[in-house]
Amino acid sequence: MATCKECKNFFPLTDNPAKGDCVQRVVDPRQAYYKSKPVNAEDDAASCPSFQKRS
Amino acid sequence: MAQAALKNTSIEEFEKKQEWWWAAEKRRSSRLDYLRKAIWKKGAIGGLYAPGVKTDLEQAVLTTNMARSLENAPDPYVVKSAKIFAHVLDNKTIFITDHAQLVGYTGSLPHTMNWNPSIASILNAEVFNDPTSIPDPVDKNQAVIQDIVGYWAGKSDLDKMMPVFDMEDMMKMLSGSIGWGVPLARGGYSNKDYEYLMTGKRAFQEILEEIDKKIDEADELVHTPVANKEIALMYDKLNNWEAMKICLEAGIRIAKRYARLARIIAENFEEDPKRKEELLKIAAACERVPAHPPRTLQESFQYDIFIQMMSRTEAIEGAWPCRPDYYHGPYYDKDVNIDKTLTPEEALDLVGEFLIRAAEVCQFKPKFAREGLQGIDGTWVWTMGGVDANGRDACNDLTIAFMQAARLVRVANPTFAFRWHPHVQDKVMREVFECIRHGLGYPSIRHDPILIANAMHWHGHPIEEARLWVHQACMSPNPPTKHGYQPMRMANATANCAKIIEYVFTSGFDKIVNMQVGAETPDVTTFKDFEEFFAAWVTQMKTIFSILVRSVNRARVLAPTLTPRPFLSAISERSVESGLDTLDPSIARGNAWITAFTWVENADSLAAVKKLVFEEKKYTMAELKEALDKNWEGYEEMRLDFVKNAPKWGNDDDYVDSIMLRCLDECAKFSKEIKCPCGNNWPILPENVSGNIHYANIVGALPNGRRLGDALYDGGISPGPGLDKNGPTAVLKSCGKIDHITQGRAFLLNQRLSPTQLAGEKGYQLWRAYMRTWADLGLDHVQFNMVDDSTLRAAQKDPEKYQEVIVRVAGYSAHFVDISRKTQDNIIQRTVQGLG
Repeated sequence: MATCKECKNFFPLTDNPAKGDCVQRVVDPRQAYYKSKPVNAEDDAASCPSFQKRS
Repeated sequence: MAQAALKNTSIEEFEKKQEWWWAAEKRRSSRLDYLRKAIWKKGAIGGLYAPGVKTDLEQAVLTTNMARSLENAPDPYVVKSAKIFAHVLDNKTIFITDHAQLVGYTGSLPHTMNWNPSIASILNAEVFNDPTSIPDPVDKNQAVIQDIVGYWAGKSDLDKMMPVFDMEDMMKMLSGSIGWGVPLARGGYSNKDYEYLMTGKRAFQEILEEIDKKIDEADELVHTPVANKEIALMYDKLNNWEAMKICLEAGIRIAKRYARLARIIAENFEEDPKRKEELLKIAAACERVPAHPPRTLQESFQYDIFIQMMSRTEAIEGAWPCRPDYYHGPYYDKDVNIDKTLTPEEALDLVGEFLIRAAEVCQFKPKFAREGLQGIDGTWVWTMGGVDANGRDACNDLTIAFMQAARLVRVANPTFAFRWHPHVQDKVMREVFECIRHGLGYPSIRHDPILIANAMHWHGHPIEEARLWVHQACMSPNPPTKHGYQPMRMANATANCAKIIEYVFTSGFDKIVNMQVGAETPDVTTFKDFEEFFAAWVTQMKTIFSILVRSVNRARVLAPTLTPRPFLSAISERSVESGLDTLDPSIARGNAWITAFTWVENADSLAAVKKLVFEEKKYTMAELKEALDKNWEGYEEMRLDFVKNAPKWGNDDDYVDSIMLRCLDECAKFSKEIKCPCGNNWPILPENVSGNIHYANIVGALPNGRRLGDALYDGGISPGPGLDKNGPTAVLKSCGKIDHITQGRAFLLNQRLSPTQLAGEKGYQLWRAYMRTWADLGLDHVQFNMVDDSTLRAAQKDPEKYQEVIVRVAGYSAHFVDISRKTQDNIIQRTVQGLG
């Protein structure tokens, strides 16, 4: 099962690597931005459309 | 406009053609240009949100999930509320836009409008029933919304309040015929205790320390071997302090999340070294504020944005009371003039972006609010200029920078209201005038000495506090001080005043909503003279005002326990000090007012009845009643007589002007009989937003010749459109007969001026002369539209070409193309006043 920690978009917290942020680039019709949402390292990412395997 | 044409036309050519929006686009920095164009248009157009703008389900889902998980928790309600607030801030999606230097938004993504489902179930139903703003995939999200709506049915603030209100008053109010909005502590206009929060002495961490001290003292007290009332009440205070702490700590944490995101972008994605540096500066700012007081202009703006974002997480805010030049000015001075860490151009970029960050703010609003505030999300009327607590001129370099930035970014919301006083320097007045000349419709001009005296007269604010006043909504002054600041102005104390005169003819029965709303005054045909007629008018006025005020008063006394505001309390000195919710009336001085929509119709109607029925006896009262019942149909000749041959307000005609003064006297007298729970007065404040259009189909035919469906007057004490026939001085003289200190809280006056006449230095001098007359006559307010008919008519014909034309609607500005055709026509109908 793929988890968030295996994803390129996952940035773990230094003091608690079990938690982190999912950071993604978005370009909408009016602006470009980076968005961030808190996730757990072990969250199931199997059905996440933004999942990108960390090399 | 095609890019080539834009490129080939000079700024001067655009300015000569008064196409200020193109000139601004060429003049502003590339950063401001990008950010300005990045804004999603959030104001509703024709009551509907623009394509692409979506209701944000994230806060709604987070709120509902947390509420469910806390259902069986032993926490008191206020602590649960704080935990829900913290859960939203800890888990919401945040973003940083390219080129931005300031961060923080109410929703999760730039195109979203946040929705807090815990406030009003009737709002939740509107979310469900508005498929145009439900995000994709609609079917799936409609199911999510249905679940949320179902959960909060019976649990929202409004649901908790309804059973403990007077049901008869509530039915009359919710009929929509006499009031506007609902009485809720988390839905309206929250001022802030800026003197506590924004003077550099403290921020969240320092407040947390103050609260800890209070908790320690209380804890010691409740564990001493004694028992009394003070201790019995202390447990509630401990709960409130705990809730405040939860909110402040969450506020610090979300700022650190922004700091972390900025660092992640800088270290992992950004290649441009200049942008990397900017991102690290954002990170440093968010690590500093709101935990600690700001050190720079950027941090000061950032602090303000966070506070606004958090306030809008807790409540639905319809306004944005603030005084940014006053509270951020010292940081501008330090960075630009003293330390020289910012050039004036760099500072202007920050000021412009601060306006843009405010312009993009949006929360999902009910349809009546969208119709009443066409083209904008709420009335962000920012206070500028004025005096300080000692009465000295408070205008500064940032005042000027705001005026300049407004002309560059040309947002319709926020707008400015400038506190004029006799010591404002000419260079500042010129900047103010340039904004008006560029067609922004703002700043509106407020008479500072009059309004300071007014704040002291009506609410007993001490002079040092009265001098610090900010606009709580469009018009009403309120000091942002410990006991002076009003935590929530509940919008339903907004009277549709044309109903007063209408109900005199129907004995209080409202034919539109088919119920008895007003007082059962005697049949109008039995009145023998004008005095009896006027007495019925007074009775109807008192009845309508009382219904609206009673519900607000009730909501205010219930708020601390049923609908507390732990975040707003946490940033209020009086709550931190006392442990009481900031809405508790015992710790506030009170600053209530009744907004009087559709007001001038009363004076014109009363004058028409007095002259044509009672004095000239041209018509019997029975004939007039019949004509009004039939909406003037079959009575056109008679109607025109009432339009043309009865005196109209705004022409310096003592006949009608004295009736206006008499009406205001009666209201002023009654304003001191009705009290708010703080024990203070309820003065009236005549103004409209776009209520004159919203109420067009709700107000029946009137004796001033208006038919059901016709737009009402544009509000405040502005004469009826096209009915002021004696020039601008006559308008000012009529309005100057009102005592703007003792006869009401404030009085809105719309005026249209000719951009051609006011071109160049001569135009400025003409305007200054006009403003001197305005000041000498003691008016408290005036605002200007300075866009000519040909531009407005061209914009009606070809809206795509005129997307950026801004007009003053009422207490706010909007893009002309975003307001209804009826409102557009109403603005064009306003008399263009020739000066000089």
